[in-house]
Amino acid sequence: MYKEKDISIDFLGIHLENPFVLSAAPPTDELEIAYDGLKAGWAGVILKTTSVENNPVLLKYPMMSSFGPQGRKVTGLGNIDLISQYHIDDIEKRVRILKEAFPEKMIGASIMGARKEDWQNLVWRLKKAGVDLIECSFSCPQGSMGEAPGRMLAQSIEATEKVTGWVKEAAEDTPVLIKITPQVTDIVEVAHAVKRGGADGITASNTIPSLVGIDINTFEPYPSLAGKGGYSGLSGPAIKPLTLRTIAEIASNVDIVISGNGGAFSWRDAVEIMAVGASNVQFCTLPMVYGFRTIRDLKSGLAHYLMDMGFDSPMDIIGKAIQNIYSHDELPSPYTRAELIGEKCIGCGLCFDACNDGGHRAIAWDGNTRRPNIDEEKCVGCAMCMQVCPVDAIRMKEKIDDSLNYFVIRR
Amino acid sequence: MQTTLSREQALLEAERCLYCYDAPCEKACPSAVPVSDFIYSIKTGNLKGAMEIIVEANPLIDICGILCPAFCQDVCTRKQIDSTVRIRALHRYIMENTDMEENLEIPEATKEKVAIVGGGPAGLACARELRMMGYRPYIFEKKKIGGIPAQEVSSARFSEGRADREIGFIKKHFAIDVINKDVDSIDELANGYAAVFISTGLADEQDLGIPREALEGVYKAREILRDIKDGRTSKAGKRVGVIGGGNVAIEVASALKAENPDRDVEVIYRRGMKEIKAFPDEIEEANELGVTFQFMAIPKEIRGTDKVEGIVVTRAHLGEPDESGRRQPEPVPDSDFFIPLDTVVIAVGQKADKVFPGIQRKENGLISVDENMMTSVKGVFAGGDIVRGASTIVECASDGKKAAEKIAKYIEGSVGNV
Repeated sequence: MYKEKDISIDFLGIHLENPFVLSAAPPTDELEIAYDGLKAGWAGVILKTTSVENNPVLLKYPMMSSFGPQGRKVTGLGNIDLISQYHIDDIEKRVRILKEAFPEKMIGASIMGARKEDWQNLVWRLKKAGVDLIECSFSCPQGSMGEAPGRMLAQSIEATEKVTGWVKEAAEDTPVLIKITPQVTDIVEVAHAVKRGGADGITASNTIPSLVGIDINTFEPYPSLAGKGGYSGLSGPAIKPLTLRTIAEIASNVDIVISGNGGAFSWRDAVEIMAVGASNVQFCTLPMVYGFRTIRDLKSGLAHYLMDMGFDSPMDIIGKAIQNIYSHDELPSPYTRAELIGEKCIGCGLCFDACNDGGHRAIAWDGNTRRPNIDEEKCVGCAMCMQVCPVDAIRMKEKIDDSLNYFVIRR
Repeated sequence: MQTTLSREQALLEAERCLYCYDAPCEKACPSAVPVSDFIYSIKTGNLKGAMEIIVEANPLIDICGILCPAFCQDVCTRKQIDSTVRIRALHRYIMENTDMEENLEIPEATKEKVAIVGGGPAGLACARELRMMGYRPYIFEKKKIGGIPAQEVSSARFSEGRADREIGFIKKHFAIDVINKDVDSIDELANGYAAVFISTGLADEQDLGIPREALEGVYKAREILRDIKDGRTSKAGKRVGVIGGGNVAIEVASALKAENPDRDVEVIYRRGMKEIKAFPDEIEEANELGVTFQFMAIPKEIRGTDKVEGIVVTRAHLGEPDESGRRQPEPVPDSDFFIPLDTVVIAVGQKADKVFPGIQRKENGLISVDENMMTSVKGVFAGGDIVRGASTIVECASDGKKAAEKIAKYIEGSVGNV
């Protein structure tokens, strides 16, 4: 009944019907679940990280904990998950089954090894099974094996470059992604190491080491395993700004394909992540919270956005925002003032509080009319009032070189 | 009937609060309850802090959480986005999930004795505030302490337990003593009390002023309400007409319908739906119970020989607005009609009784007070319905609270004593 917009992309030579891929995580750890995800419309899967170790992976439960206000409890989601409990023997079989069922979709797999032979063995076996892409987890918050035991492999520049080299040597023409952590001193240096190691792309980035919360009555950390807890990998909307910065820094400095991961919860988030340089976007927390059905709005939201903006393909978005990102000393200094959009104001007075106690006392309050009055003399244009306004009735009027610009919140 | 919120519902509802600066809800509340502050405390999970904020603001806060007309909700800023925050339900949620007794700290009662005549909302509020300042309040009450909420509001709307909880709380902690005595002259209190606060409310009910009001089967609304509240079967029959359009009329109609769902209960009102004075919540409740309404009907005469057989009413037409701003009903000529009834309940207003000789009153019988709430007799203060005329619990409690401050200043010598 309505026009269908083509939102397919080319990702490292792989055709994706849309830019949305299920990341290496619980939604891809069972064959039936991954199958259902693909059936629901996700463009591809990266099967949860497997290894060749003979030691069983001992997962511990409860595994999940979250934080956020009532009604939006999963603003941040923490997990103490490890790699898959399924051995490469199982994963090989799954790649074959899924590839046969969904020949048009991307079937990727994530791996983790200790020694060079392990990494390369994993690659060879997956290649033989027909995998489209290999992702290497250098960044499980619970620690890597081998080169950097106890900490994350991607926290070591030398190890990152060396192991990337091993994997790419075995993978040959099969695309390789290295999944990194933002928890490093210099993300650009890590990306350079991945590039030098010969990987095709970088997955930026994994969950972020965190401590989700403490029960203030019992002092048990979240999640509590019979009273004891530890550090979780944090995902969800809470980490999106960190992901944006990680990707933007890599895209600005290193010529490498990026798969965006971490904090995308809607098509808007996905557009933002692509705008700072990602070529596609991986999801995990969103389907874990609301299920695979979320793909429908992701696809339709993106399609409408592209049509409204006049873009041909999602690939047109990639890196669009990079040219506008500058260091602080390079930023311009426009004459900026808050401006009230009178007809939108509902008179809650939150802008007054924000300016009076945390700004520049540039807003006066008229208790009779219940309206704020912005004093242009005192206003420096910090935009704090705009942040607290529940109905977006404040915009920032910016003047520079006789041109006028408005900083507004568009939803 | 209002529902009790679960913890999850309360947290979700609290999140809807914008936490307005200079919040209109607080300004609309006669007791100036810091609404946005207590809701903020719900958001952070600090229920005890929320309880302290509201209990300190209003001495009859628990009762208000259920019976207050919620002026705050009418002005909620959130309404401009979608709908008002359910402030009263949040308020009630706190009271149901906290203990007013916890961490209570009351100063020594070392100061003068003050007599409070009338143990309703205004009197109880005054007692609590005086006691918190170290005075020794004695409450004189001829019936059951707690005023209209305890004596007349139906148990279905406001359970005995809830009434007893808060009234008992005030009685236990804030009144030095409650004396079960009918005081009708200030002279009885001349000795030993540094000041007197009269808060006797409106004891009498107004008549309709039409023929045969004394007939068997004609009752006043509040006597019916008291009967039901005290657990007695009301004297009403099978076909009841309630005359009036105020909160008491709706209340008695609901109580009679709830008492016997087979009984026909019709509210007979001179004006239209728009002019009705009762609060929308109460009308909705009456509707749900099955109370019916006869609008635009002016009572002309009650018919019957030994007992009520019905009422003759005249069809009304609404004319010019009166001083209340509502359009005045005018009779339509030759439009009388008869409504067969076996019971007529009159709920057309309350009036002051004629006790306390020597205290100056207005024409309508209400006590006159100055800006310090003091009557024509030095040291005798008054507040609540006996000064305001029929009003709400929250307004009366607010009066009691203000009167306590004035009384304290008077005793200290800075008000009305120079």
